[in-house]
Amino acid sequence: MSESGIENFVGVPDSTLKHFVDQGLKKKVVLIATREEEAIGIATGMSLSKSPSLVFMQNAGFANSLSTITSLVELYEIPLLFLIGWRGYLKNDAPEHTKIGKIQPEIIKSLGIESKILSDASWKKECDWAMKKIRKGQFCALIIRRDFLD
Amino acid sequence: MIRREAVEIVAKTLKDDVAVSANGYMSRDLYEAYDRPLNFYMIGSMGLASSIGLGIALKNPQRRVCVFDGDGNILMNLGSLVTIGSLQPKNLIHVVFDNGIHESTGGQPTNSTRVRIDSLAKAAGYKVFRAGSKVKLESTLNKIKNVSGPILVLVQIEKSKYVSKRIDVEPPLIKTRLMNKINSQK
Repeated sequence: MSESGIENFVGVPDSTLKHFVDQGLKKKVVLIATREEEAIGIATGMSLSKSPSLVFMQNAGFANSLSTITSLVELYEIPLLFLIGWRGYLKNDAPEHTKIGKIQPEIIKSLGIESKILSDASWKKECDWAMKKIRKGQFCALIIRRDFLD
Repeated sequence: MIRREAVEIVAKTLKDDVAVSANGYMSRDLYEAYDRPLNFYMIGSMGLASSIGLGIALKNPQRRVCVFDGDGNILMNLGSLVTIGSLQPKNLIHVVFDNGIHESTGGQPTNSTRVRIDSLAKAAGYKVFRAGSKVKLESTLNKIKNVSGPILVLVQIEKSKYVSKRIDVEPPLIKTRLMNKINSQK
């Protein structure tokens, strides 16, 4: 994502995204916020400065951010790329993730955010799709499934 | 001093600075006092004005960014003080207009009278100033001209029944005119 033009990676860590966040920290392109809404606010300020930005978070934090998404990102049409870790994708994930994991696809659909689920086979294509959206000044989301337990 | 008066005093010192204003009456006051393309009126996303201001400040180090915040607003996003304090943006001025109430929603109390917002900001690493009168506010704004940020100015204001006019610029236009202006002068 960095090579294709994303300059800022702002968010709240998620274990599903651990390697992604660690890489970004090594490259010094990651800014860790205290909450997901704060991350969206900071990334919005960066996008207003024409510096393409990605916001990463777990789906729990995505649920925290619904009002910020509707009343800032969607209302002002801010170009932002959301990268969301999908906890509760597996039925036997920890209990606090079950409900949000189940209703997440519906929420994203209701919000009207265009999204793609990243897969091992075609992740590059999905990232290219997202970058095209950002360059056009639109927002969208990429979802990473949590397909392992720890 | 009521908020509308205090906002106008701060707005007059803006020059080429970007301004980001909190939702509710704060943005309406700034719009009525001094509308300009470099103002970002955040009409939704409660609490996030300082975060948006931080993002702009980090990407435009040559330009000052002034956040018009309220006590109720910053209390919703106290983590922002920590993030700003840790990143130390030199060009960020965070003005908190403190009336001790949520005036936009009918005057319910906040806890800013019990827990001092300027003390919290100081602990987070801001340079902190307080102003409780028009004269003090003007002299403070003059004093901080050459001080590097992050700066927090706590402006103590009185409750008021005055209501500024509604903002009649569509949100996507608020964004576009700011983006055009900010990026044309880089």
